This record gives sequence, C-alpha cells and structure tokens, in this order.
Amino acid sequence: MFEFLFKYSPTVFRKGEFVFLTGWPLWLLVALVAGAAAGLAWHLAHSPKSSHVALVRRVLVCVCQTILLAVLLTLLWHPVMRVATLRPQQNVVAILVDTSRSMAIKESPDTRLDKVQASLNSGLLKKIQDRFQVRLYTFSSEPNRIDNAAQLTPAGNATRLGGSLAGVLRETSTLPLGAVVVFSDGADNTGGLDRAVLAEIRQKHIPIHTIGIGRTEIPRDLEIADVTLPARALPGSRLSARVQLRHNGLSGQRAHLSIRDGGRILAARDVTLGPQSLQTEEMLFLSGEPGTRKLTIAVDPLPGEEVTGNNLLTRIVQVTAGRRRILYIEGEPRWEFKFIRRAADEDQSVQLVSLLRTSANKFYRQGVDDAKQLAEGFPTTAAELFQFEGLVIGTIEANFFSAAQQDLIKEFVNRRGGSVLFLGGRKSFTEGGWQASPLAEVLPVRLGTQTGVFHRRPVKASLTPQGRESLLCRLEEDSDKSAARWAKLPDLADYQLTGELKPGAVALLNAQLPGSKDIPLLVVQNYGRGRSLIFATGGSWRWRMRLDHKDTTHPTFWQQLLRSLVANTPSPLTLTSDRVIYSDDDHVRLRAEVRTKTYEPASNASLAATLLDEAGRLTRFEMHPSPDQEGIYEAEIAAAKPGSYQVEVTAHRTDEQLGRDTLVFHREDGIAENFHPQQNRELLEKIAAETGGRYWRLEDVAKLPAEISFSEAGITTRETMDLWDMPAVFILLLLVLSTEWLLRRMWGAV
Amino acid sequence: MTLRTTRAWVLTTPLALLLASPLLPQRYRGRFSEDEYLPPPPDANEETEYYFVRLAYQGGGNGYRRSRAWMTDSPAADRHFLQGVRRLTNIHARSMEKYLRPLDPEIFNHPWIYAVEVGYWHLNPEEAAHMREYLLRGGFLVVDDFHGAYEWEGFFESMQRVFPDRPIVEIEPTDAVFHVLYDVDQKVQIPGIQYLRSGNTFEKDGVTPHWRGIYDDQGRLLVAINFNMDLGDAWEHADLPQYPEHWTALAYRFGINYIIYAMTH
Repeated sequence: MFEFLFKYSPTVFRKGEFVFLTGWPLWLLVALVAGAAAGLAWHLAHSPKSSHVALVRRVLVCVCQTILLAVLLTLLWHPVMRVATLRPQQNVVAILVDTSRSMAIKESPDTRLDKVQASLNSGLLKKIQDRFQVRLYTFSSEPNRIDNAAQLTPAGNATRLGGSLAGVLRETSTLPLGAVVVFSDGADNTGGLDRAVLAEIRQKHIPIHTIGIGRTEIPRDLEIADVTLPARALPGSRLSARVQLRHNGLSGQRAHLSIRDGGRILAARDVTLGPQSLQTEEMLFLSGEPGTRKLTIAVDPLPGEEVTGNNLLTRIVQVTAGRRRILYIEGEPRWEFKFIRRAADEDQSVQLVSLLRTSANKFYRQGVDDAKQLAEGFPTTAAELFQFEGLVIGTIEANFFSAAQQDLIKEFVNRRGGSVLFLGGRKSFTEGGWQASPLAEVLPVRLGTQTGVFHRRPVKASLTPQGRESLLCRLEEDSDKSAARWAKLPDLADYQLTGELKPGAVALLNAQLPGSKDIPLLVVQNYGRGRSLIFATGGSWRWRMRLDHKDTTHPTFWQQLLRSLVANTPSPLTLTSDRVIYSDDDHVRLRAEVRTKTYEPASNASLAATLLDEAGRLTRFEMHPSPDQEGIYEAEIAAAKPGSYQVEVTAHRTDEQLGRDTLVFHREDGIAENFHPQQNRELLEKIAAETGGRYWRLEDVAKLPAEISFSEAGITTRETMDLWDMPAVFILLLLVLSTEWLLRRMWGAV
Repeated sequence: MTLRTTRAWVLTTPLALLLASPLLPQRYRGRFSEDEYLPPPPDANEETEYYFVRLAYQGGGNGYRRSRAWMTDSPAADRHFLQGVRRLTNIHARSMEKYLRPLDPEIFNHPWIYAVEVGYWHLNPEEAAHMREYLLRGGFLVVDDFHGAYEWEGFFESMQRVFPDRPIVEIEPTDAVFHVLYDVDQKVQIPGIQYLRSGNTFEKDGVTPHWRGIYDDQGRLLVAINFNMDLGDAWEHADLPQYPEHWTALAYRFGINYIIYAMTH
C-alpha cells in the first residue's frame, strides 16, 4: 500500500535525502504560498459576490484553495528523493546462515535450517545474485564460507553473532561489501553483539538485514536461565544460590530443583511454577571443605518438554582454605565474650584473635599466632591492623583508642575493605563516648548524646523483613522455618539504645521493648570498600545458656555474623575473571587488583601469572596495567580445550611479595545451544536497527533483494527519484478539489 | 521412739549444744554468729554482668550438713571476695552473693557457680542431670572446702551422677586457668581457719592439696575442684589479722582466675 501511494519503498524515504531540483530559493516558495493565501483571503473578504456568504464558509474555501496552490507551487520546485544505491554487480553481499544446533529444532514439520534452505533455494538467492556478488557463509562460533546453500548442517555448539560478523568483516575488508544478510534464530550465547564490532559496522555504514527464524516462544519448556552464586566461599559456610527459572506453558506445575556436587545432593526441593515466565528460587547449601566445587544445578524435566538440555547448569565455587583473621578487642570480661569465642573456635574458617582487658592495665590475648602478636596492645600501624580482615569492638570507651588508632580503624573499613562490628555494652556507643569519635561516621546509626541507655533487662530479638531474607540471620534453610525459630528464641540479657539508622543502613534484627516501639539491634551498612555493623547487646549468650546444649542457634548465628565480616574482605591481590563457566567460548578476560600492605593501589607491581590446564600443562602469561585504573592489571587468555583451568598470579614490588591469588574457571562445550532456543527477535531487531538494516520475517523475505540496494557501503551511486508523480500527490489534489466542490454543492453555490 | 524420749531430745539437745559451743571449732562458730547478720551492701540490687552464685544443694545425712553446709562461710566469704573482684578486675560484679538451688532455672542466667563443703553434698539424679546440662551449655562450677578420702568419696558420688563418663583429672600447671590473669602457684595449700588452732594446713587426711578438674570434649575446664583446701575460709577471714594474708591473696587470685577463665573459655 505504502509503495502504491508513495511510489517507493519506505527505505527510500528513511535513507534518502529530500531536495528540490530547481535550485530556486525555498523562501520564495514560502513567500508565494503565503502571498497566494493572503490574496485569496483578501479576494474572498472584499468580493461583492461573496459578501453574502458566511465567514466560516469563506474561510473553508480559502483553506482548500490555499492547499491546492501550495501543492502545485511545491511541485513546480521539482521535489525529489536522493538516495545512495549499490551499483549492480559491483558490490558484495554477505549472506550468513546460522548453523548452530538450535537451528536443528523442528518446527512443524521442518527444522529451522530446512526453512532457511527452502527460502534461499526458492529463488531468493538467485534474485540477490542477479544484482550483487554473493558470499555465502555458515556460522556458529565463527563464519565458514560455503559455495551453495546445499551444504548446511546444524552442528555448531554455540552461536556467536558478534564474533561471526566481525570475522566476515575482516575477511571482506578489501572488498566492496554493500550489505550483510543474516539468517538466524538470534539465540546468541555469548552476550549479543560486541560494542567494538558494532562500532566497526556503523563506521563502514554496512546495513545488516536480519531474518528471524523460528518461534519466539517454545511451548512447554522449562529452563534454568541463570544461577547466581558467589565465586568464592569460606569452608562450611551457608551459601545461597539464586536460581532463575524460565518456563512457558507450565504454570502451576511442580518441578524438582536440586544442587549436586558430583553425586552428592547438597540441596533439593520442589517448586511451583508461577504465572510469570521468569521466577527466582533461592537454594541454600553448605560450602563444605576447602577445594573447588563443580556444582550442577538441575531441574527435572517435566512431561511434554520439547527441549530438556536447558534443564541443567554448571557453576564453580572455590572454597578457600585457611582461616580468615578477625581481631576482637573487648574492654571487660563478660559472658558474651566467652560464648563468641566458643562459636569462633568451633568454626574452621575464621581465626578470632582477641584482646581482652581483664583489669585496668592487663590484657589477656587469645587466638594469637605467637607470643609477640598484640603484645603491645591494639595495633598502631596500618600494616599491623590490616593483616586482619574483620574487626570486632566490644564494650570499651572510645578514648581507649588514640586519635591515630581511631583513624586507622576508619581506614581499615574505608580503604582496606574490612568490616567492623561494634557490640553493645556498658562502655559502648554513647556510654563510651563514641558519639564524639571520628568513628561515629563509620557507624550505621546516628548516635545521640544520651547516656544511661544500656539496660540489663531481658528483651526479645525479632527479625526485620530484611533480616528474614538475610543469610546472616538464617537459622534454617527455609526462611519460614528460620523465622519460626527466631520467634521461639529466649530473651537477650540486655540491650542498648543507639539511634536512628543512617541512609543506606539496614536493620536485620530489632529489639522488641515491652510497650514501646522496636529499636534497632543488628544493623549493617556499607562504608567505603568495607562494611560496618552494630549489634546493640551484650546478652546474646542467653541463646546458649537458655537452650538445650545441643541447640546450635547461638554458634550458628555468631559464626555467620563473623564470617560475614570477612567473606568479602579483599586480599592484597584479588584475581577475578569475567565468567566462571565458559560455555563453548575460549576467550577469558582476567583482572587482578593489587594493593600494597597498607592497601594503597600498587601501580608499579610486577605480576607473574600462570595457567594450568587439566592435562597439567603450565603456561605463563603477562598481565598488563590498566590504563584507566591504578593498581588494576588485565590479561586476555585462551582456554583452548574444554576442562578446568587454574590461574595463579603473584604480585611483587622490588623484593617484596605483595600478594598471591588463585582462580579456577571451567570451559565446557556443547552446552550453550541448549539454552534460550527460542528466536531472539529482540536481538535481531536491535542489530538491524543499530546498523541501518531491517528485521525481516521469513515470509516477507521476497522483498529483501530490492531493499538491499539501498546502502551507503560499498560502491554506490546516488539516484534521484521524482516525487511529483507520486499517486499520493494526485490523490491529495483530487481530495482538495472534491472537498471544495462538495462544500459548495452543500451550500447551494453550484 | 516414744513420745517421752522425743520430748527429752527436744529439750536436751539445744541445752547440750549451748554448753558445748565453746568447744566447737572456730569456723563453725563464725558461721553461725556474725556472718549471718551482715547487712546487704548499698548497691546490692544493682543489675550486673557477674553474680557470685552459691549452689544451695541439699546435703546428705542430717542436721547442719543436710540443710546448711552449702552456705558455709557465707555471706562474709562471698562479700569479701566480691570486693576483691570489683577492685582488681574490670568485671562488672554485683556486691552481694546470690543463692540458687540446683533445679532453679535461674541458674542458667549465671554461668559461674560456687559449691562448698561438697564432701557432704547430695545431688539426686534430677539435680545431677540439671547440673550436667548447665555445665554442657557453658556453665562453670567451682567446688571448694572438702578434705580427705571420706569427703572425696562424698563429692565423687554426686559428681559421678553429673558426669559418669568424664574423668576427674589433675589440672596441669600450664593450664590457662592458672594464668588467665594471675600466674598462680598451685603447690601452696590454702588452709581453713582451723590452721590458727591446729597449726596444720590440712584437715583430716587431706594432706596434699589437689587442683583437679573435669574437661569438656574441646579441652575446656567445666568443673574446678579445690580438694584438700579451703579458699572460702581464706576469703572469709580476709579481714582477720591472725589469718595469714598471703593465703588470702592467693585465694583471691585463684577465685578471680576461675571467673575470668569461665568468661573466656
């Protein structure tokens, strides 16, 4: 219809330039139209023949005649569209056909690839070849040139649209490439089109026409779309896996979800599939002993599922060996101290080094490495304090610490990225003058000035909504059961009023004061690179003494709280990769953040990096400083074969070793194509729109050959296309004249 | 026993006791005289972290040992010791003692408890189970002032009901309990007040002092056993010029170490 009315396809108007050929000034046209309108208006206003006609009618006649004149005058200026078109047979058009395994999916009754072949061989390819030189490629991970469309086999393990397009551009860089045509289901499993590739295509003005293949929805399909898990964990800690399920046509059904470590089931439960196609389920499990865990997250196939290969995902978790060190300074002997120590001593993942002021001038040290450690009291240098990863400050006056030590504690959180936990007690918070300390800024609550706010009265701790969801407060894997246990816990021995929460702080536990509103008890907030927490009581030991000796509530809570202090504390060298599992992809980006012993970014470090593959082959590689960020070093390496790889990096500066870190990642092949098998129309439309091409449905693709011509890439010519003879112009003129005639007829003027 | 003989006992026993009182050992007289009338300190009701809790057990046998042995030396010993705790340490301690029965659930609010004259204590199975639970949860028991083989047997009988499967062992000199605040010399026998009369540091056949203990599976001391010595008397008579000060000082150190150990292990 559009082409009937406007003579040309929409692409001509979208890509072309509208100009007047006569070269007469445009202002003259505007002036003539305005003059004609004014003249007509004057004539109708002063003509004695029209003096008896109503004003509204005169205005309508004037408008009709003005439009008529304006159109005629515009046509006199000779309007045309100028558009760049590819010169026939002088340009190359690359046709890429997706031959990844997802193209083998049968869709009534042919496979996706069968449909592409049928379309190409039914004359489409010949029509394109009539106008252009055609280069035919298949692609999955990379493009392969083929001679004809008969050689198509859907065997590719992955779809890399970006990489394949980049490959074609490289191969045709010396050729006049006019356009690219991509037949694909768009089920890319490497994150879509790379920005650099997109920029290169844009720069060359190469339009990419995408032809979407396959259904945009798979009926009756259940897929594990993603699993979010921490890459590293402490031994024996409770981990949360957030499993994202995507399902279609299965709402209301029950599915069995499990996490396995080899043959061992770590967590399993049934879930009900909700009305939304995406839903997230949380699975909790214990990290276990130190080592690398290759976890399988699976959902059992449901009856009638077409694709079951997407019901399983693999993730790797590194359970780090060694104890993370926490320094606990306590101002007076008290029961809370004893039971915190007991909880920590039972935890193999933390080392609680404590400094207890037993009398006015005496300290009792526990958990120290040797007789010298902390012999002089609380650390006075960054190097000494920053060797710890977490800090607990018990009930002690603020002025026990020197000004320098207070600054050091602040930097411990801000720069070193450690976490600090302040406990309630008779010398804590305002009772200890902390409101006047520089450390008040670090606290997650605003301290008042009032003293006498520490009360040795029993009080019940209750979960806040955030605390209910937090792993830190989780006593059972199931949040409802956990909340039920919290509700039954004995009272705390005491509590302390602190102040209102700062913006960004989150209360996980409140204390329920009888006849009064709840007050914050356990509060956490981020501060700098680390975190600060308060636990405004010294009486959680009642959870140990007032429950059966086999009850684990108290040690579980405290072990989780202590681990939360150190779980995310960075070490001087932190090595990360852009992914942990590389599905049908060998391209690995590594990043190392290196800091000095005082946790300043180490800009002039030398890094020794090695890659160990499963066969025991050791490869050395370089890590280069990032040009953008101080203390950041980067590398791109290739994981040549499927399997597990271990990267080890050591950073030195002169003769001093700054840090060492290891990282494990895994490459697996033949997996990626099982996921997102439906047509990703959104991605294909985006690629077409970003490059000046167009998204096509397979059934509309017959018009493609004509459309390909409109391109500014390759060898082009600028075509001038007249607009005066567009049917739409004549229809407009006819409409205006008819309208005026009909009006006059209605008014009895003719 | 006939009504007549009963009446005779009732009338004659108090008279006999009254007449014999000068002959009773000094410590027993002290117990029944001034100590019972010590008024509560002004801050006796202060809510604190630490309470000196005495185990008010029911003794075996009859008479005094059945009903009052548990409060031997109290309250003077308790008050004197508490003054030392408050002065010498940072522990927020209440100035006045507290008595609790073995089956009192309040016992779980006080993870340190002191039992005296345990040669004559008697814990029935229910009380023993309660004490076992108390200790396994994290409570700490100090037993004191019992001497010789006979009283050891009396102590051991009930203690076995508490922990039939845990051995009583000698505490090694290197154990933290002897060093947590004070480095104490465990070779010194701390005698009771009878020393002033007899000149002996021991009582009965308890010639050799023993610092024994019961440990949990993690090697933490649950029960500290002062056998053949009397820390309670040393605390009680801290203000008695005739009682040697060095024994009192040592008893304070032991007692304070027991508390701090209990608060740190």
